[in-house]
Amino acid sequence: MSSSPQLQVSALNKQFAGRPILINVDLTLHRGKAYLLSGANGAGKTTLLRIIAGLEKPDSSRFDLGQGPMKWRHCRSTLQSKTLYLHQHPYMFDGSVRYNLGYALPRGLTRELRNERIDKALEWAELNSYAKTPAKTLSSGECQRISLARAWLKRPDMLLLDEPTANLDQESRQRTLDLLVALKQDGISMLVASHDPAHLSTLVDSHIHLDNGKTICLEHQEQIPRGNSKITPIRRIKA
Amino acid sequence: MDTISSSIIPAALNLLFSGDPELWEIIAISFRVSGTAILIAMPASLLTAFILAYWQFPGRRLLISIFNTLLAVPAVVVGLTLYLILSRQGPLGEWKLLFTQTAMIMGQIALAFPILVSMGHSALQSADRRVWETARTLGASAPRSFYTVMREVRFGLLAAMFAAFGRIIAEVGASMMLGGNILHHTRNIPTAIAMEASKGEFALGIALGLVLLILAFSLNALLHHVQGKGQLTT
Repeated sequence: MSSSPQLQVSALNKQFAGRPILINVDLTLHRGKAYLLSGANGAGKTTLLRIIAGLEKPDSSRFDLGQGPMKWRHCRSTLQSKTLYLHQHPYMFDGSVRYNLGYALPRGLTRELRNERIDKALEWAELNSYAKTPAKTLSSGECQRISLARAWLKRPDMLLLDEPTANLDQESRQRTLDLLVALKQDGISMLVASHDPAHLSTLVDSHIHLDNGKTICLEHQEQIPRGNSKITPIRRIKA
Repeated sequence: MDTISSSIIPAALNLLFSGDPELWEIIAISFRVSGTAILIAMPASLLTAFILAYWQFPGRRLLISIFNTLLAVPAVVVGLTLYLILSRQGPLGEWKLLFTQTAMIMGQIALAFPILVSMGHSALQSADRRVWETARTLGASAPRSFYTVMREVRFGLLAAMFAAFGRIIAEVGASMMLGGNILHHTRNIPTAIAMEASKGEFALGIALGLVLLILAFSLNALLHHVQGKGQLTT
């Protein structure tokens, strides 16, 4: 990794109802890179993404966003402003596609500038024909494209994606992937939770595997070890 | 029965549609008092409902139970409690609010608040948690995210508002005790109906009762209309 770390997480712990989900997780994410986050169901992928997004409180942790390590609660608002978390099933607000895209824009823009940026986002995600359609009536693939267009408008430093290609047909999956590659080329780093690494091979640079609540960081293309009990860390990225 | 159909109902309709000033003044007082009470109660009750739905804190379940229990408190008990507080010997006796529209508004706020909290809480509980999270992660401030959640459950909140308005505009106990049923000042629809009925003057009572019925029907029709529109567009 040649770029400077964008986010370093250390000693992150999280329990649900007394059951440890994340145990002393260390994680370093670099600017402009895309990371695949894999792991079995219940391994804590979504929880980890939500904690980094500032939506879920960890039991203990240290976060370094380039200003020295600090507690999660002290950098929660920074995490919320610098990241964008996309749910597995993106939520569409009650309103048109235009309304949903406009929500990602900062307030205070003039109507002309606002409309111009929404038009560009519609074009970027190939959603022009749906501009006035109620967003809730669209398919999963179209909703995923709206959520990525919102990301394109918000321009976060880091995109946190929870199974972005799950339950999509081949065509929708490819279009989603194309948009993700475009966002990465714009300099947005990504942490992508997925059960399906093969489809994301053109996007991700590194591979982080969650197992038994711990992270094992692997370089791109390296094989995820099979079997929970015999995992040997190939390379752990330290802060 | 013949008397009702042959003389009272025509007289009531005549009062209603001839623009009888006394009758319409009573209606105006009712709407002014109850409308003001709802407008004052709404912001705080919605915020309370939101906190109960979205925050975890000790005593949360107890608070929900208390608000649900308050739904069953009779209006006359609320009226009596406020009467004791506002009466000359009461803690707020110096404010001299008893037998004023302000006192009636206070009583109706006390009645509407638990309805708005309880029904608002139910509406918010049924909302998808992703609404708040999506708003926050897209960069919306906490107040804007709050507004977004309210917008998403607006039909449930509207139903809560109509239910509360319907309850307070038709209650007689608190209005009678706190307002005193003073003509031109605190006489509203339910207190006027109670008084006219006790005098055996049914025409005005029936006319006012018709107003309440029309109001109930209109609110329900409006609610169904906007809910239907919501279903079409979502």
